[in-house]
Parts: sequence; C-alpha cells; structure tokens
Amino acid sequence: MTSPGDNLDAAALGGGKQGATPLSSAHVPTGSAVAPLRSGTEVQSGVSLSRTAWIAAGFCLVVVMVMLYQHFRAAERDPWKSPQLLALKEQLRESPADESLRSEIRRLDLEFRQRYFRRLALNVTGGWLLVGGVIVFLMASRSSRRLLEKPPLPPRRGDTHASAPATVPRARWSVAGVSAVLVAGLFVVVLTGSSLLPERPEDLDKVLGRGEGAASDAPSLAEFQSNWPQFRGPDGAGMPARGEWNLRFGQSPEAGVLWKSPVPAHGFNSPVVWGNRVFLSGGNAEKREVFCFDANDGQLLWRRAVENVPGSPARQPEIPEFAGVAAPTMACDGRRAFVIFANGDLAAFTLEGAPAWSKHLGVPKNAYGHSASLALWPGRLIVQWEQEDGAPGGSKLMAFDGANGRLLWERAKPTHDSWASPIVIEAAGRTQIITLALPFMMSHSLADGNELWRAELMEGEVTPTPTFSGGLVIAVSPGFGLIALRADGSGDVKESHLVWENHENLPDVTSPAANGELVFTVTSAGLLTCFDLKDGKKLWEHDFEMEVQASPAIAGHQLLLLSTQGDAVTVEASRSFAELSRVKLEDRFDASPALVNGRVYLRGTTNLWCLNGKP
Amino acid sequence: MNKPANEPTTRRTFLRNGARLAAMTSLGALGGVLASRSQAENWVWQIDPQKCLRCGNCATKCVLEQSAVKCVHAFAMCGYCNLCTGYFEPEPNALTTAAENQLCPTAAIKRTFIEDPYYEYVIDENLCIGCAKCVEGCSRFGNGSLFLQIRHDRCVRCNECAIARTCPGDAFRRVPASQPYLLKTTHAH
Amino acid sequence: MVLIFLLFGLSAAFAEQRFPPPDFSETNHQLPITTTPPTRAEWLQYLDVAVLAAGLGLAVWLIYKRRSRRGIFWLSIFSLSYFGFYREGCVCAIGAPQNIALGLFHSGYAVPVTVIAFFALPLIVALFAGRAFCAGVCPHGALQDLLLIKPLKVPAWLEHGLGILPFIFLGFGLTFAATGTGFPICRYDPIVPIFRLNGPSLLIALAAITVLLAMFVGRPYCRFLCPYGALLKISSLASKWRVRVTPDYCTQCRLCEHSCPFGAMREPAPGTIEPKSLVTERRRLGWLLVLVPVLIAGGAWFGGELAVPVSKLNPTVELAERYIAQQASPVDHGVMTPEALSLERAERDPEALLTSAADLRRRFWLACVLFGGWIGLVVGLKLVSLSLRTRRTDFEPDRGACFACARCFRSCPQELVRIGQMPASELPAPVPAAAKA
Repeated sequence: MTSPGDNLDAAALGGGKQGATPLSSAHVPTGSAVAPLRSGTEVQSGVSLSRTAWIAAGFCLVVVMVMLYQHFRAAERDPWKSPQLLALKEQLRESPADESLRSEIRRLDLEFRQRYFRRLALNVTGGWLLVGGVIVFLMASRSSRRLLEKPPLPPRRGDTHASAPATVPRARWSVAGVSAVLVAGLFVVVLTGSSLLPERPEDLDKVLGRGEGAASDAPSLAEFQSNWPQFRGPDGAGMPARGEWNLRFGQSPEAGVLWKSPVPAHGFNSPVVWGNRVFLSGGNAEKREVFCFDANDGQLLWRRAVENVPGSPARQPEIPEFAGVAAPTMACDGRRAFVIFANGDLAAFTLEGAPAWSKHLGVPKNAYGHSASLALWPGRLIVQWEQEDGAPGGSKLMAFDGANGRLLWERAKPTHDSWASPIVIEAAGRTQIITLALPFMMSHSLADGNELWRAELMEGEVTPTPTFSGGLVIAVSPGFGLIALRADGSGDVKESHLVWENHENLPDVTSPAANGELVFTVTSAGLLTCFDLKDGKKLWEHDFEMEVQASPAIAGHQLLLLSTQGDAVTVEASRSFAELSRVKLEDRFDASPALVNGRVYLRGTTNLWCLNGKP
Repeated sequence: MNKPANEPTTRRTFLRNGARLAAMTSLGALGGVLASRSQAENWVWQIDPQKCLRCGNCATKCVLEQSAVKCVHAFAMCGYCNLCTGYFEPEPNALTTAAENQLCPTAAIKRTFIEDPYYEYVIDENLCIGCAKCVEGCSRFGNGSLFLQIRHDRCVRCNECAIARTCPGDAFRRVPASQPYLLKTTHAH
Repeated sequence: MVLIFLLFGLSAAFAEQRFPPPDFSETNHQLPITTTPPTRAEWLQYLDVAVLAAGLGLAVWLIYKRRSRRGIFWLSIFSLSYFGFYREGCVCAIGAPQNIALGLFHSGYAVPVTVIAFFALPLIVALFAGRAFCAGVCPHGALQDLLLIKPLKVPAWLEHGLGILPFIFLGFGLTFAATGTGFPICRYDPIVPIFRLNGPSLLIALAAITVLLAMFVGRPYCRFLCPYGALLKISSLASKWRVRVTPDYCTQCRLCEHSCPFGAMREPAPGTIEPKSLVTERRRLGWLLVLVPVLIAGGAWFGGELAVPVSKLNPTVELAERYIAQQASPVDHGVMTPEALSLERAERDPEALLTSAADLRRRFWLACVLFGGWIGLVVGLKLVSLSLRTRRTDFEPDRGACFACARCFRSCPQELVRIGQMPASELPAPVPAAAKA
C-alpha cells in the first residue's frame, strides 16, 4: 500500500510494525503499551462477534416486522373502530331477537378486545426486546469492528493542505444550496397561503355581521306589529296591535270560515302569520318539517324538512308524545321564518322556502321536551333554553341574528325547568326579555343580554307564558298564584315591584290575556276568570265545562276562547260576564289562535282554519 | 495545555472574554426577567370536564399507545341507574352485561348490583382507553357523573400535550402540579 | 305554552338532578372514592436539576482533568438511562428554549424554575468549558453516540451547508413558541419515542430513520437539527477553556482527525494566504459583509410574506379561518367530527375567536419577520465565517462543532506517552510550527 518512505510517521509511531496503531490499543485493555498485530484468536472472535451482530440485527428486524404487521392490522380489528362490529350492532337493533347475531357480536367483541390488549402487551415486550437486540447488536458490532478493522494509517505529511482549498468554495455553494432549497420550500408555503381572516380590524366587523349592512335587513317595528310574527302575537299578549275586529263568528254574514286546509303533520305549535303567508311546523322523531300556507286560500305553498343540521345527533332524543317534537311555535320576521324543534335544531328559511341557515343547540335536557317558543324582535331571535337542574351547560338565554344565525349573545340563567315562552316588551325605556322558569321571573336587556331584574316567585311546573299589559307583567306561577309586577325595577324586585297577587282559579297550561284594563285566565277545565288589571281583584268567573288548551285571544272588547272539541266561544271582555257567540268547528284544537288583518287562524289537529274576523 | 509562547491570540482572547461576559450578562438578564414570572411549581396538563366535547380524540392522539386519559367517575353525582346511558348502548337489547348491550368497546366499566334498583359503575382504568363513549352517553342523557381526566400515574408530561393540540373544545390546560385534577362535583345550589 | 301537561301535571316538581343519587337506605352502601393518582413528587424535579448539575460537573472533570473517553462513555450510559429511559425524555434542555420564549411573551405562562435551570446550566457550562452537556449529559446525544458503529465521513462542504439547519430550526421553534402556537421542537423530536418505546406512527418512523442514520453518521440529530446544540455552539465559541487533543506539541499525525466521527477536527492553517489571492479574498469578504444586511432585509421581507400561511398552523387562527369559510359557504357535517365540534364552539362566540385570531396574526407577522431576518443573518454570517481565516498551529477540534466526546485524546501519540502507554522514544521528532509556516 505505502512504501516505508511514504509512511515515515506511521513507521515511527508503530515502532516499525506497520499497521499497529495507538487508536486500537487504547480500546483494548491489553495493558501493553502498543498492541501487536491481530492475533488469530482475535480475528476468530471478531468473526464470531460480527456473526452475533448479524443475528442480533436479524432478530431486531423480525421484532420490527411483527410489530409493524400488528400495527397495520390494528385499525380494522380495534374493538372501537371495527366496522364489522358496528354493523352487527346496527343489525341487532333492527332485529333485536336474533340470537345468532348476539352470539356473533359476543364472539367478535371478545376476540377484538383480547387482540387489542395482546397487541398492547406485545408492543411493550417488543419494545424492550428491540432495545435488548439493539444493545447486543451494538456491542457485538463495535467489538468485532475493533478487532477486525484495519487501524488507520497516518497519511503522508505532504497531504496536509491538499484538500483544504477546495472545501471552502464548495462549502459556500452548499450553504447557498441548502438555503435555496429552504427558501423554495417556504415559497411553496407562501403560495398556498390564502386567508379569509381580514387584516384590518374594521373588516372584522363585516365578517361578524356588525355594522349597517346587517341591520337594514330587519323589518321596521310598525311592519312587525301589523303581523303575527310569533306565539301570542307581536307583543306576546295574544292581542293584535291594531284593527277593528268582530269575533262573533256565529253572527257574521259569511258564517265565519273562509277556508280550511289539511295540516300535513302533527305538532302543538300555533300558526304565525306574515303578510299573506301562514307558517306551521310539525313532525316526529323521523322527520321534522315546516309548512307555508297561502293566507288567502289556504293552499300549501311549500313544505321543507329540517335535516342535516350540523351537529344534530342522528339518533333523536326521546320526547313524550303528549308534547311532541314540534311544540314550540315558529317565528317570522318577514325576511325569514324560524323554527325550533325539541331535539335542539334551530333553522331558518326564506319566505320562499329556501334554507337560510340551521344550527343545533344541543339536545335539551327536559323531561317533557323543549317547548318554549321562539321570541322575536326586529333583527333579534330569542331562544329561551331551560334545562333540568344540573343539566350540562345549564339554562341560558340566547339572541341570534336572524339574518345569518350568528349568536349575538348568550347568558347563563340560574333557573331550570320551564315550558313557558319568553316575551319581548318595551317598558321603562328598555326593551326587555321576560322569561319564566324555576325559581325566577327574569328580565334581560335585549340589546346585550344583561340581566335587568329578577323575582323569586315561580313555583310548580311553569307553563303559561307571561303577558304584558298596562305597564304590568302578568304571569302565572302555578304553585303560587297569578302575579303582576311592574317592569321598571332592577336587581331583586320580588318585594319592591310585586303589585298584586291572586291565588284563585289558576290556569295550568294556558296563558293569561289582558287588554290594558282586565286580565282573563282560563283553566284547562274551562273555568274563565276575569280580574281587574289594577289590583288583581276577581271580578267574575264562568265555568264553561269544556277542555281548553288554547290560550285565549283578545281583540278590543272581545275575548275568544277555543275548546279542544272545537267550540269557539266569544265573550265580552268587560267587568261583567256576557257570552256573545258560539260556533262549533269540526276539529280538535290545542294551539292558540292567530289574529291578523281581520282574520283568525286556528290550528286544528286535522285542518288549519281561517275565520273572518272583520266587523 | 502548556502552549508555546507564540500564541497569537491575545486579541481573540480579549474578544472571547468580552463575548462571554456579554453572554453571561444577557443570560442573567433573561434569568432575571423570567425569575420574576417563574414559579417553583411545575405544570401538568389536565382536561376541563366542563369544556370537554367528548370528541374521542383523547383515545387516539395521546403519544402513548393506550392513552393516559381515562374516564373517571364522580360517584356522588351518579344516579346509580339501572338503565345507565353511559354503560348501555342506546336502545340496548337487554339490560344485561352482555357484549351487545355494552357501550364501552373494551368492557372497562364494571356494573355491580347494590340494592334495588341501584347499580354501581366502576371504571377499570387498565382497560379504559379514554374514548369518551360512556362520557357522551352519561352527559347527554344522565347526570354527567362520568368524565375524562388525564391520569398522572400514566401521563408522561410532554412539554406540549399532543391531545391538547387537537382538542376541539380547547379543554386542555396547564394546571399546577399540586392540584393536578379538575374533578366534577355535585351541582352546587 | 299551549301543551297538554295535564297528564303529567300532578307529578311532583322535578328533583335536583335528573336521576337523584340514591341514599342506599337498605344496604348503607358506601360510595367509592374517585381516585386521583398523584403526579411525580415535586421534590424529584429538583433531583433532576441536581443530576443535571452533577452530570455537567462530572463531564467537565472527565474531559479536562481525566481526559477519559471511558468516563464519558459511562456517563452517557447513565444519562441515557436516567434522562432517557427513566425520565422518558421530558424534562430536557432541547425543548426548554421554547418554554422560555412562551414565558417571555405570554403573561399567563410562568416558566417553572426547573425548566429555567435546564435551559441555563448547560449554556453557562458551555461558556466556560464547551459542549460538556452534549458529551455525556444529554440523553439524545448519548443515544446517538452509543449507536455509532461505522462512521462515514460527511464531506466538510456538506457539513457546512447542513450546519445552518439547527439555527433555522431554533428560529422556527421560537417563532411558534412565542406566538403560543406550540412546541414544534418537542413535537417532532425523533429520539423521545425511543425513550418511551411508544409514540405516534410518524415519530416512530422518524426515530427509526434517526437510529439507522446514527449508526453510520455520527450524531445526525445533534449536528444537523438540534436547536439547543445551535445555542451551545454559539456559546462554545466564547468558551474559556477548550478541548485540546495533544497534551504537548502536535506531531501532525492526523490520527485525531481520523478518530473524530463528527468532522469537528480542524487541521493546522497558516492564517495567511498568498498575496495573489489576497485581493480577491478581501474583495469577497467585503461583498459578503455588504450582503449580510441585504440578506437580513430580504429574509425579513420574506418572513412577512410567510406570516399568513404559517399563522394558519395555530389552532385558533385555523379555527377562525374555518369559521369564516363555513359562514361564507356552509358545509353540513353529517357526523360530529372533532372539526365540526370545534366549529360549533366557534359559533358560540365568534367575536372573541376572530379578535384573538386577528391579534395572533399580528403577532405572527412580527415573529415571522424576525424569523426571516434570522434566516438571513444565519446564512450571511455563515458565508462570512467561511471567508475568515484562523491561524492554527496544531490539529485541534473546532470550538463550536466539538461535542467533547473525548474520542480523540487517546488517538494522539502524545497522550499515550503522557499516560504511559507508549514510550516517548517512539514519537517522531517535534516539528516546530514556525518551520512549517
């Protein structure tokens, strides 16, 4: 390889013995100053060590292969992912009595579980086996290398600077090359980066739907009040805002009924009306729908199913049949119709029936099913979300932007268990949302959702919706009495703002009606009671002895009562009892009437009825 | 070690000393700033059960093959129901412990009869994989007494928790090591 | 509300919880206690710091006083067992700079004292004694060092080129940590899965590649990726003492160069060059010095362009982007995937989400501008340093690149003479440095 002359240093180092080196001697604890040439035994043990190394490497490879195989087979056989097992469980749900299915599930389940935990155990042992194998491999291969490899030879002295000059220019190029590759990679990143997030804060408002663009969509208050946009009318009092009315159907020249139209699906919600459109919802666990009727002739204009709501569980929660999934009444602001179902789906449609937006609010924890209707104020959609005490997430009040369904605010409520609906009132210079639930009657500001006042007066099963009339909030506290509160308080108003209370003839389902002077309640057994709005004194009562589920509607000095059996009774709303008229409609009625544009809309179980209420 | 006298590095040594001094000073300054904000106690990761959305990531995203997140039972909140929606599949075939009725994929929940009509449900953490199926069932239809927690006998305390990074509910946070759990308790009235 | 509640109307008002917890009047059953397995005892973290400090001290002693490779070898076995397989790779100095950055820029995060110690101690030692931490205390280094069987020589020019990567990875990690996005240095650590014998598939694959590479390339992670190594490299340049191969004069035998598997050995250099090329060299250096600020400025500009795509790696920004996209064109998620669940969370309070995302984006812009400038600075200084000439009389390890593994000591005939393994008479005659120059 090298002539002795070339290898002067090495010769000097090795004491004349070519190939010997201090490098190897340093590692071999021979005790001698300089190791001699490899002995035969050293070579032999070196060879056997290298064989050991190869065996160890092979062992490691086998362990790795086994673990990899197990890893890639894992996905289909993991007990919680196996499509096979899931499919079998689904099949069993369809044919619950199939014994073979059951035993097949049990067998597979056991097999997969055992396999999974065996794999976990194997990975632990495999890992340590691998570590052991690698240690043996390292020790053997390093030792064999030390024994077998030729020790390095010191190169010629003349080589010292031979390679140096070429290194630096190449190094420059390699630095440039590495940076170029890096920058090219980052450049690709730059190219793929497009962003929807606006850079300037003022553009953020646009994305959030703040500013003027969003507000112009909402109807004016006057337009709002000339319709029947929500449960119990524009101000939630069961009273049309304007117009002359004649609710004495028995005496009207057209004999009342203008049209009737079949109701396609069941639901306890009441009709809402905007312009010439009437909206109803209905459905069951399988399908939930919205129906739009022409107010002029009762023709069904469109029906849309509420489906594919993001986040809505495929499996419907169980809701008792006596409440149903479609108990809450819809709302319509003239731009969109809104619907909520007891499974927590909230959806909006344009008046033409195009889906505008939908969202799932979570499945409410409510024994009878969620039944608070949607409340509306121009531009704001209010959802009162009462759950049972201790339910996850608790009770809350939410305001959505009707245009896009964006949550404007959300406030937690210290309440639980209610089936009453919220109402929006203007009182004491504030637009307030009044809600009833155990144990508080509460008022929140519509603008920002902040609590305005509360009164701990609610007891029993809170079902009747409150009414606002003559500056007083009239509400039924089923376990306590009929109460009237001034709405101008703040904080705890239980003592300070309770104007009167009356414990007689409490309604359990229907909401009170008031016309600024008198308050009327009707129990489900048909006992109609009239109270003085000022002091809550009972003026008179009359027992109709009929089942009533619909809340009474009031127009001027006429009060409309509707029994479940179809008796539409008109009573004079005055300080003494007088029945004005009575007609019999062939249907069952649970929903409350809607009074708008001189027409009365009644939802029966079979038909939607439209009656003439013009004088 | 003992270098020849012709070492030409006085300027270099000077520069080097200066650089070292600067480095020590800046390290000191950094240390000072940090010390004012540091704390003796270490952090550990934990799940806020109120924020947990039961997505199932905990079972798959942990750096450990069997996740360090386990289902934990707040017994005081439990209704001891016969039909436990955390234990049984929705619409269970029968209210028995047979495989087809159990929601838990690894049969990690032990159901024991206590007295009529109450049953106790205990999690076997060696079997639990933190998939949150039972938590979902219990939160949705029951009292919510089952919830997920990082078990600190298993957690390897990664500097950056791999599950936290992907948690859709942003439920993971660092908590002081002296209070390493965020347990659910009975609803305060 | 118009509903038939009569049927249920008589039932009592609801209890506190949906299913009230029973009182077990018959059996007096005692409720089990919800167990809370404790975390690792707090005092043990001070043990970690003590072990670190002792390890560093021992390493310095072994390198400078004992000059013992065997000592370093056993120290690395210990570190590998303690910090590696026992502590499973976490707490570690490599990830600590990120905690420091997070602590500096986020008031909500207080850096634990132990993490500060793990960050600072190795650096302080490096300022005086070079990379003693890498030599035998760092479990990552120890593992790779022990894996090395047959070192292949990485060409010096390639080593220079790849050598800038750790600095860039450091900048990347700090950018992410300072914006509160995450700890990518920990996330993509290819060694920790080995300590845990467990990990996600991607990391296991990275670990396997690193192991195979480390058998043939000396310490690939330390040399070409380790961000903390980059910090130690800079600190070592100012170190008070340095590793020297020969205890006496250098015989220029080049055996030490052969013994170093990490390409850290530098050969003697005159420090001067021929006058012919001096002009071009000087001119080049001048241009490079001008180039440095240009590179920094260019990098900063480029970093600014990176801000938007890089910020999308932040979960909050990513969710905000997804939220806006969802608002623009709603997509229905049939099943509740984690993605759909996070969107739902976004819808509860989009204002807070978007505001914090916009704030994060501004932070990212600044961080990415700094990151880009840092890349420019690293490349520029590297090019400048390639044009600087150092005068060296002996073969000696590069201050920054040397891991102080002590392999070279016993390759040196002078050292063998010193420890009495070789008679001095076998040494070649000394070559005075002056004669060569």
